[in-house]
Amino acid sequence: MKSMAVELFKEFREHSVSEFFRKNAAMLGYTGKIRSLTTIVHEGVTNAIDAAEEAGVLPSVTVSIKKVNESPEHFKVVVEDNASGIPEKYIPDVFGKMLAGTKLHRHMQSRGQQGIGISGAVMFSQITSGKPAKVTTSEGGGEIVHADVMIDVDKNEGKIVNGEKSKGDWMGTRVELEAKDVAYVRSRYGPFNYLRMTAIANPHVQINFVEPDGTLTVFERASDKIPDRPKSMPLHPWGIMSDDLLALAKHTKSRTIAGFLVTELSRVTKGKIKEVEKLSNVDMNKKPSELTWEDAEKIVSAFKQVKIMAPSTEGLRPIGSGNIESGMKQILNPEFVYAATRSPKVYRGGLPFIVETSIAYGGSAGKSVEGEAEVEEAETGGLELIRFANRAPLIFDQGGCAINTAVRSIDWRRYGVNVAAAPVTLFVNVVSAYVPYTSAGKQSIADEPEVLNEIRGAIMDVARELRQYLCRKIRIKERHERAGIFEQYLPVIARKAAHLAGKKVPEVSSLIEKVAGVKIGGKKQTSEES
Amino acid sequence: MVAKSKRQKKADEQLEAFGETIVEDISAIRPPKLKVPSRSTSNIFYDKKNRYFVLGDKYGIRSAANVKQVKKIAQTLCVADFCKELIDARKFATLREMYYTAEGWEAGAFYDQGESDVIVEDLEAMFGVKREDLGLTPEEDGAAVYGQLVVKEEDATIDATKAGRGGYTIPPTIDDVELLKCKAKRVIAIETMGMYHRFVQEQAWKTFDALIVGLKGQAARATRRFLKRAHDELDLPVYIFTDGDPFGFHIGMVIISGSAKLAYINHELAVPDAKYIGVTASDIVNYKLPTDKLRELDITRLKQLQKDPRYNTQFWQDEIKKMLELGKKAEQQAFSKYGLDYVVKEYLPVKLKEAEG
Repeated sequence: MKSMAVELFKEFREHSVSEFFRKNAAMLGYTGKIRSLTTIVHEGVTNAIDAAEEAGVLPSVTVSIKKVNESPEHFKVVVEDNASGIPEKYIPDVFGKMLAGTKLHRHMQSRGQQGIGISGAVMFSQITSGKPAKVTTSEGGGEIVHADVMIDVDKNEGKIVNGEKSKGDWMGTRVELEAKDVAYVRSRYGPFNYLRMTAIANPHVQINFVEPDGTLTVFERASDKIPDRPKSMPLHPWGIMSDDLLALAKHTKSRTIAGFLVTELSRVTKGKIKEVEKLSNVDMNKKPSELTWEDAEKIVSAFKQVKIMAPSTEGLRPIGSGNIESGMKQILNPEFVYAATRSPKVYRGGLPFIVETSIAYGGSAGKSVEGEAEVEEAETGGLELIRFANRAPLIFDQGGCAINTAVRSIDWRRYGVNVAAAPVTLFVNVVSAYVPYTSAGKQSIADEPEVLNEIRGAIMDVARELRQYLCRKIRIKERHERAGIFEQYLPVIARKAAHLAGKKVPEVSSLIEKVAGVKIGGKKQTSEES
Repeated sequence: MVAKSKRQKKADEQLEAFGETIVEDISAIRPPKLKVPSRSTSNIFYDKKNRYFVLGDKYGIRSAANVKQVKKIAQTLCVADFCKELIDARKFATLREMYYTAEGWEAGAFYDQGESDVIVEDLEAMFGVKREDLGLTPEEDGAAVYGQLVVKEEDATIDATKAGRGGYTIPPTIDDVELLKCKAKRVIAIETMGMYHRFVQEQAWKTFDALIVGLKGQAARATRRFLKRAHDELDLPVYIFTDGDPFGFHIGMVIISGSAKLAYINHELAVPDAKYIGVTASDIVNYKLPTDKLRELDITRLKQLQKDPRYNTQFWQDEIKKMLELGKKAEQQAFSKYGLDYVVKEYLPVKLKEAEG
């Protein structure tokens, strides 16, 4: 079968593989030393979680990053899962075939958004370090497969360059990737924060992380329920992007582009295809395999001008407020947490989405991670914003993100939050099969008015709860301070008065209880007296 | 140990009663309350009948149920208890000593001495007693007295003509001093110690049958208390001889009518019958005294006095106006122009005669 990637690579035939990466860096997530490392971790962890969920196993993922040759730009990333392993014959495809992932041919709100998946990480490490991916996997039958996988760029194929087997009682998959031109920092752009955010949004996952200096961090599981797998839904033309079309074209059984669009997309009729053909000037009778990137772009923009029935709101899979609260509690250990999952809304006339928000106060909330040296955009001080799309962390391009715009449009003082100092972490997850990203980098959500307003409303929902909590806290604190003052001075008054009068010191505890509204010692509130 | 004076006994009883009320309140699970007369300017009035400043009937209630007041009440109790201990031990302490003692109190130290001083004033105003009766004394001694007066301080009997050239020093605890014998017929209080010593040297106490009191400027509480006692207990008329300037005028007026600041205790301090025989604007003209030009401050002060109810008499209004017109002031010692003894031989006799009518 002629693969899609080959089509893609045609355009780069004369160029080197590294140039392909450079040209598509933004789309693939391999720009910058820190981001490249985070992307490798992201691809490995996403693959691991998906594999475990599909196998019906509560995911346990171990990530370790080690320096190679003491170089600050050369690292080894190891990701190990507890899923059901990969049959030996599929290893080359899974790790070595670009755009061969299982996700692309069906559509769902997937957390592996980059599309290119683990094979991209294999490719990146291969280009930069020249080393194969070392894969160890077992389906649990006592046999463990060790395979070194390299990608043959010309054929877009994975090849096992070195393989052996051993015996052992273990099940799962372990991938070891070596990459150069990467850097490790514990900033909010680094792997640590990526894993921390992943743990918050995926409370059913346990993540163990070993940093280059040997520090082990365990993000414990907070929920024993594997979330429902996102339902595979046909894509709606309003939410489609060029790379989606190319991927779909690769897997379709239709013989023409017209046929493939009608069968693979939802709400598309032959009549609509004619309109699209007129607007885009793309020959709809071509074979799907002949669809080029330019064609795909033209079709995508043509669809936006055609009236089409809105997509179904079925299949949206929010994390759920209870699960978010569990995740926030587990990772941030806050004194207060609240989460809200709003009802589905639509934007652009019919694309469904759900916004989920959560706010945590105290504990390690608001502190994010150590060392903000790599911060490129001004941070909103004590208030930490963590953004997600379909529960995948959005780490980069915060400045241009609708979530960030929404956060900044809120007068936080009204909610008793000092943005510069309050220990607050704000969680926002936008759930949709059609997340309106600002760019192919898929790290930032566009300012669609309906989406922005919905995010804003959802943030205010949780901010109001925080305000109530803070007010209550202040009241209780004041009451206790007040009680403390009476407990300190009324006994002095009693003793001194008794001494003046030459009498026995009167019992003062009843009076303290009366005026302070608390029991001595216990400091329990007995009334709402202020 | 000497017995408590009547005043001390009174204060002691009041402190005890104060403690009893609070013990009763606490036993009845009732938050103790303090009723403290207000000393704000809106509650200070010039009492025309008594001719001194008094407090009105406004007061503040401090409640131990109020979180902002309970500490102050505890501190007030600590001060009261400290005072009672002083009285019981027949001891005295200065306000500053008490302020430092408070460092170790259960109600906590004071932020500054101003804070502890105010609590003492509260107690004075609440009980209508002077701080001296509570065992607390001012820092400074009172002035000096020279003349035919014999006093008894505990075991010592002192003749004010035999206490050296400086005379008998009025102690802060003047209320403990017994005025045994007095042959003098009047009291002359003098602003400056220079003039006081002139009077002593010229034996003016004999010439005028007077107790000569050196005020050392604005009269201390103890001095004012002495003048009050001399007037009330020894039945002596009191004359005040000061410089001819607004500050001299006011030294006299504070002795006569009391100060606004001490309105709550003026019944113990003011001598409304005392007479001013200091240098006036008329004297400056009549005696052709050497003068100084009025300073800006003098003029401002004179204008204030013009509006002060205590100066609302024909005499004062005329003299103040005249001094403003002259633009001049003169010191007591300006009479030296006519010889050192001129003031005793010539000026005072005339003034006294005028005053005694």
